Amino acid sequence: MSDTATTGQAATAAHPAGVRPGRRGRRTDWRAVGAFAVLTAPTVLGLGLFKYVAIGWSFLLSFSEARGTVDLGSWIGFDNYTFLLKDEAFRSSMTGIILFTIFIVPVTFGLSLGLAVLLHGMRRGRAFFRTSFLIPAAVSYVVAALIWKMSLFNGLPSGVANTIGGLFGWDVQSWIASTDPPLYWIVIITVRLWLQVGLYMILFLAGLQAIPVHLYEAASLDGASRWAQFRHITLPMLRNTSVAILMLILIAAFQAFDEFYNVFMTTTGNSTAPVRPPLVFLYDTALKGQDYGVGSAGAFLLTLLIVLVTLLQGRLVGFGRKD
Amino acid sequence: MSTSLTSRRAFLGGSLLFVGGMALAACGKDDAVKAGAKVTLEQWYHAYGEAGTQQAVIRYAKEYTKANPDVAIKVNWIAGDYSAKLHSTLLTPQAPDLFEIGDFQYVDVKNGLLAPLDDIIKGQEAEYSKASLDSATADGKLYGLKMMDDAMVLYYRKSVLEKAGIAAPQTFADLAAAAKKLTSREQKGLFVGSDGIGNAAYLLLWSGGGDLLDPEGKKVVFNSPEGVAAISGLKQLHDDRSLLLDFTTDWYDPGAFIQGAAAMQWCGLWALPAIKKALGDDFGVVAWPKFGDTGQAVSRIGGWFAAVNAKGKHAEEAKKFIEWLWIKQTDLQKDWCVSYGFHVPSRKSVAAQTTEFSSGPAKDAADILANTSRAYPNLWNTTMDSAFAQAVLKIAKSGGDAKSLLDEAAAKAQAELGKQLA
Repeated sequence: MSDTATTGQAATAAHPAGVRPGRRGRRTDWRAVGAFAVLTAPTVLGLGLFKYVAIGWSFLLSFSEARGTVDLGSWIGFDNYTFLLKDEAFRSSMTGIILFTIFIVPVTFGLSLGLAVLLHGMRRGRAFFRTSFLIPAAVSYVVAALIWKMSLFNGLPSGVANTIGGLFGWDVQSWIASTDPPLYWIVIITVRLWLQVGLYMILFLAGLQAIPVHLYEAASLDGASRWAQFRHITLPMLRNTSVAILMLILIAAFQAFDEFYNVFMTTTGNSTAPVRPPLVFLYDTALKGQDYGVGSAGAFLLTLLIVLVTLLQGRLVGFGRKD
Repeated sequence: MSTSLTSRRAFLGGSLLFVGGMALAACGKDDAVKAGAKVTLEQWYHAYGEAGTQQAVIRYAKEYTKANPDVAIKVNWIAGDYSAKLHSTLLTPQAPDLFEIGDFQYVDVKNGLLAPLDDIIKGQEAEYSKASLDSATADGKLYGLKMMDDAMVLYYRKSVLEKAGIAAPQTFADLAAAAKKLTSREQKGLFVGSDGIGNAAYLLLWSGGGDLLDPEGKKVVFNSPEGVAAISGLKQLHDDRSLLLDFTTDWYDPGAFIQGAAAMQWCGLWALPAIKKALGDDFGVVAWPKFGDTGQAVSRIGGWFAAVNAKGKHAEEAKKFIEWLWIKQTDLQKDWCVSYGFHVPSRKSVAAQTTEFSSGPAKDAADILANTSRAYPNLWNTTMDSAFAQAVLKIAKSGGDAKSLLDEAAAKAQAELGKQLA
C-alpha cells in the first residue's frame, strides 16, 4: 500500500498541472496484481503443497493407526502420543537432547564468540584464519562424521586419537563403542564444534566489525581495562547478533541428526546406539519401522518442545525486543 | 525496448522448445524400451555392491523379453536405504510391479502389498530351506521366492589358532577362551561388529536353545532362562576385552579378518572370495558354537526374496517372470549366485550342481547353512529389534541386570507384536 502512495506523491510532484494522480494510486493496478500472482504463485503453491499440506497431513496421521500406510481413516485419538510419552526409549531420547542442548549451546556460543574476538584483535593473517575456521562449515555432516568415526577415532592402535594417546602411554580406547565411560561424547561433540563454530564465528565477526571504534578509544582514554571494554562495550553492542546466534544454535542442537546417525550406524541401523536424539528415533520409527502414525506424533512433540524452548529463550533474552 | 522484448521472448520460447524437446526425447527413449512389448514391468533391485550384477539382471530381463516378446522389463537399481525407499514408493502410483525384499515383514502382507506366490511354487517346496519358506510365509500363504541364500559363519585364522594351540571352537566356552587367549595389543580375538554387538546377541540366544518368538508366533520368548543365560555371554566377551571394537568397517566386511585385526570374525559367505584371495588357505569356517550343554550350533541365513506388488496392474505377468527366472532358469540362477558375488543358490538342486560349493571352506559354509541356519521371524520388526538391542547394549556394556532388562524389552516387544497381529 505504501508503495502506491509513494508513486502517487511522486506523480503529483512531477505533474503539478492539475492532473489528479491520487485517484490513479487508489485504482487497482491489475497488471501489478497479475505480476505479483505470477511471481509468487510457484513459491506459494510449492510451499503450500510440499510444506503445509504435508504438515497438516502429518498432523492428522498422528491421530491414526498408520503402519506401512499414509492413508487416514483408522482414528485412534491420542494413542500415539500416550504411547510415546510412556515409552522409555522416546523419553530418554527427549531428556537426552535437552541435556545435550544445555551443554552444547553455551560451548558453541562461547567458542565462536571467543574465536571471533581473538580474530578481530589480530593485526595480521586475519583473512587466513577466518577462512580456515569457516571451511569446515562447508563440509557435509555425513562426511565429517565418517572421518571422525573411521579415521580419527577408530578403535585400532593406529587410529589418530589412539596414536596420540599412545604418546602419553594411554591404553588403546574404543572411542565409540565404549559406554562406560561414555567416550562417544568426545567424538560427537568435537565433530559438531568443528563443523559449526566457524560459521557462528563469522556472524560474530560481522557484528564486531559493526561496533564503532571510537567507543573503544573513549573507553581507553577513560582507563577502562580490556575486560571492562569487552564487558561493557562489546557484549552489549553484540546483543542482537548474540540473540540471533543463540537461537540458531539452539534449534540446530534440537535438530541433531547426521553426526549421531552416522557415528553410531551399523549394518543393522541405529538400534545399538547408546544415544538416539529424537530425529534419529523418529527416522527409525517412521521410515525404517514404517509406523507413520507414531512417527508423526513424535515429530509434533519435538516441535512443541522446540517452540516452547524458543519462546522461553525469547522471554529470557528478549529476542525481537526494541532497544 | 521492443528488441529486448523480442529477444526475451525468443529466449523464453527457445527454452520452452528445449525443455519440450528433452521431454520428448525422454519419452522416445522410453518408447524404445517398450518397442513391440505390450506390457512393461517395473522391477526394483537394491544396489548390489558386486561389479556386474546390474548388467546381469538387465541381461536376464532381456532374455525374458526375447522368449516373451509381449513383456518388457525395466530394471531400476536403487541405491541408498532400499527398504525405506521401497516401502514409501509402494504407497504411491509409481510403485514397481516386482521387487526384491531382504528382511521379510509381516506388515507388508497385512497391508496387502504382496501377491501370494503359492501357485508358482507348488510342488517346488522341497527345493527350498525351511527357514526361507518360513520367513516368507504369512497366514498360510507364501509371498516371496528366495533368489539366493547368504550364509553367515564364523571365520577363523588357522595359523593363528594353531600357533596358540587352540582348536576351532565347538562351544561358547571354547570361543570365549580362544578369543581371550588370542587377544594382544595389535590383535583382538574376535570381531562380531564395530559396536561389539552385531548379530552376536541373536546367535547367543539361538545357540543357547532360546528363540525370539514361540513357534506359533504369538508370544515373545527371548527372556526365557536359556535366553537370559546365553545373552549374558556377550558381557563376558566384553569384560574380557577380547572383542575388536570400533573397527573402520562393520562385520559384513572381511577387512578386520584379512588385516589381522581380529583372529576370528563373524561374517558372510559373500566375503569368502576376498578372504581366499588375501589369505589363501589359511582360514576355516565354523557355525556359531553351542552355548552350554543344552544348546546347539547355529548360523544365520540371509539373502533376498523376489516379490510381486499385489496392487500393481501387471501382477500376473510379474509372477510369470519370477517363475521363469527363479524357478526355471537354473543356469541364470547359478550365474547370479557365483559369477559376481558368492551366494548359495536357494534351490537345493541348483546348489548341488554348483561346483564352487563342492570342497573346502565353501562346502563347510554351505553345510553349516543347510544344517544350522536360522532366520528372523517375519513378525520381528525394527521396533522389536530396537527394544531387544537396547537391552543387550545395557547388559553387555553397562553391566545391567540381564533378567530384568530382557523382561522389560520382552514386554515392549510383546505389545508391538500384539499391534501387528491386531
